[in-house]
Amino acid sequence: MVATEYYVALSSILFAIGAVGVLTRRSAIMVFLSVELMLNAANLALVAFARQWSGAGSITALSGQTAVFIILALAAAEVAVGLGILVSIFRYRASTDVDALAEIRL
Amino acid sequence: MTFPGPDINWVAFTPPLVLLLTAALAVLFALYQESGRLTAQLSLLGLVVAALFNLHLFQVVRQTDAFTSFGLRYLADTPAIAFNFVILIGTVLAVLMSYHYLERADLDHPEYYPLILLSACGAMVMVAAGDLITLLLGLEIMSLAVYVLSAWRQGSRESEEAGMKYFLLGAFASAFLVYGIALLYGASGHFVYAEIAAVLRGDGFDQLLLATLGGMLVLAGLAFKAALAPFHQWAPDAYTGAPTPVTAFMSVVVKAAAIAALLRIFSSVFPDLSPLVGQVFAVLVALTLVLGNLAALFQRGVKRMLAYSAVAHAGYLGLAVLAAGTVGTRAAIWYLTAYTLMNVGAFAVLSLIADRNDRGDDLERFAGLGRMKPGLAAALTVFLLSLAGIPPLAGFTGKILVFQAALQAGYVALAIIGIVMSVVAVVYYFRVVAVMYFREPEYELPAISSWATSMAIVVTVAGTVLLGIFPGWWYGLLQAGRQLLAGM
Repeated sequence: MVATEYYVALSSILFAIGAVGVLTRRSAIMVFLSVELMLNAANLALVAFARQWSGAGSITALSGQTAVFIILALAAAEVAVGLGILVSIFRYRASTDVDALAEIRL
Repeated sequence: MTFPGPDINWVAFTPPLVLLLTAALAVLFALYQESGRLTAQLSLLGLVVAALFNLHLFQVVRQTDAFTSFGLRYLADTPAIAFNFVILIGTVLAVLMSYHYLERADLDHPEYYPLILLSACGAMVMVAAGDLITLLLGLEIMSLAVYVLSAWRQGSRESEEAGMKYFLLGAFASAFLVYGIALLYGASGHFVYAEIAAVLRGDGFDQLLLATLGGMLVLAGLAFKAALAPFHQWAPDAYTGAPTPVTAFMSVVVKAAAIAALLRIFSSVFPDLSPLVGQVFAVLVALTLVLGNLAALFQRGVKRMLAYSAVAHAGYLGLAVLAAGTVGTRAAIWYLTAYTLMNVGAFAVLSLIADRNDRGDDLERFAGLGRMKPGLAAALTVFLLSLAGIPPLAGFTGKILVFQAALQAGYVALAIIGIVMSVVAVVYYFRVVAVMYFREPEYELPAISSWATSMAIVVTVAGTVLLGIFPGWWYGLLQAGRQLLAGM
């Protein structure tokens, strides 16, 4: 059996890749995909931890797995809203470059 | 394998449930409506009913005991109910502000009001959350609706960009929150605050590093929602770009929910983590106080100045969070009540002065307002003086309470920074007042009359003054009943 540490290490690498992606990619769609990667890194960690806690009783282990389903649903809802806003911007701008979002002073 | 049946106590979550049902009904009505009038009226009705249920809940909790539902995952204790009242007041005022504003700005779509109700419903779930997953659900329900609302002005670059920025950064922040939740689960095996705290306190707990890392990530996610520096970058843009009633709603309700969540976590899980978490939060609060106030000092536009002032007020609320527990919680709720009234009031006045596309909020525009529109100018003066913390208005008592809480918790340096910064704040609030009364009019102001917005202004002025003169009444109510905070 692969130890939990390896899964968590993989998930933290995925999370870091996602975070770097958010900070460096220019297209809003790619930023968005990077956020999804971060969420799924968290899901991987949750599943790995749930397996680790399986010795501590079924409820403890299952609560981690159900959390994954809830987060999947949340991610889907986020996609729906995010793409909606994106489409409405794209409709008159014809670009999803986040650097073009410079109208507002920082 | 047997599972216990769900422990559902319906009474505990009647207020958000009422809002959810009203929103669902309003969405159905919205299918057959061109104008938002009907859904606005329905929403107001739903909000009043939710307030009545909340009042009932409060009376029961005062006499018997706090309600819990879904195990300890949903807590309806005195702080939660008080926060519900703050959220309901903020939402009612935002709906009143929007009633004529949307028509004037050509943004009148009936789906607007259900979204506001859903967001308030999410905020109430967040306020009552006794576990990390409930917290996450509430936060997302609240945020997803607000993302759409802040991009409501279609075809306006500022509004859509505000929505997009807020959404991308918000999703980024919630990813941090989710990962933090995963790490806390990995360290403790639980999501419920009380159970996590019990594990952390137990003998032979050796995952402190993992748990502290998780706690830090959760802190970052929530600090983003509360607009604490350095996670406040989105706030000035989103506040400036969004339609003014939405700005008022965001700056009040979203902040209240995030502060409530922080209070619960700070009084349950965080004390048992490494003290580093508290120190990091103290640094965030200090940064927020300094950056928010100094940035507000250099803004030309009044709306943007108020946006930075909202960031600064998150810092004062952070002082109370550091003293989480009974005193800090009461101070935070009291401060938020006062802040809700005076901040929404200021935005309501602004919505009657700016152009229909929210442009023209420059300081020059307020010149001579005292002569042209004495009523509006007087109301704005009350709000700004209260925001600055001038006695006897509500903002003054609020500041005293949070400084007191911070001093009691031993954060003397932070309290001093807070006091110094509130002196700085007087400068930028007074500048607007001075321009209103001591400069000649330069602009022809649009003639706007809206009984709904005027009503909101009257209510907020009365609230700001009365709360300031009789601070003990509301504070006394906050002391009643049992404070579960984390279900312990």
